[in-house]
Amino acid sequence: MGDFRDRIEQRGRLRDETVPHVVVLRGGPDTVAKIVRHAHRTEQRWALDGMPLVGVSVFCALDPEGPASISGLLADRMRSYLVVHRVPAAKLRAAGFELLPTGGRPHYTVRMMCGDEAGAAKLLAVLGPPRENRHHESYAR
Amino acid sequence: MSPMPGEPATTATIRVDIAADLNDEDETGFVWTYLADAHDPSLIRPGGVVIAGESDTPAVCEVIDLVEEPSGTIVHLRLLPGMIEDYGALVRRAGILA
Repeated sequence: MGDFRDRIEQRGRLRDETVPHVVVLRGGPDTVAKIVRHAHRTEQRWALDGMPLVGVSVFCALDPEGPASISGLLADRMRSYLVVHRVPAAKLRAAGFELLPTGGRPHYTVRMMCGDEAGAAKLLAVLGPPRENRHHESYAR
Repeated sequence: MSPMPGEPATTATIRVDIAADLNDEDETGFVWTYLADAHDPSLIRPGGVVIAGESDTPAVCEVIDLVEEPSGTIVHLRLLPGMIEDYGALVRRAGILA
């Protein structure tokens, strides 16, 4: 892994957007090992306030309809996932996870304080069990 | 035999060409991962079609571009329609494979 200067600072790139009471989606099924791997990849590339940014990607259902709605996300970006994790943004925040508006709308990064197994297990517990994605490609057959 | 809706088409372990979190998007709007996560980096070329993701959540993707960054070479991917098995069926229909 490179040093901190190798990472792209995200603070100035964050969208000017607050997360209302929305549903957060993440294609799954997640495991502790997966979250650790994926958080490490984010940490390798991105920084926040000069420190490695540890976290994993999610999508927030920001709109009632369209590409950034629950059904829009499930049918497009997440159509390759048989199952997805769904959790209210408020539940993530209550558990101490920050939602950062990274990349393009409605992509977010769930910031983790620690990318080790304990940190991943904590996030996995909040994400809860995965649910069937009725918009998966197999339903289009 | 086609799988039922909501069921994985195969229970076999799938080896992906390039490991990725298909939830990961950057400012380009494409999925991104590192070239270092490719099983065979020589397969990862713009316009190429690859299997990306995790072994239990694979998807067919098009390689959009490769971008050099200080932390490594970033690969941008576009999720293509259909399941992996659909592409196999396409190839069989074309008579390319027995």
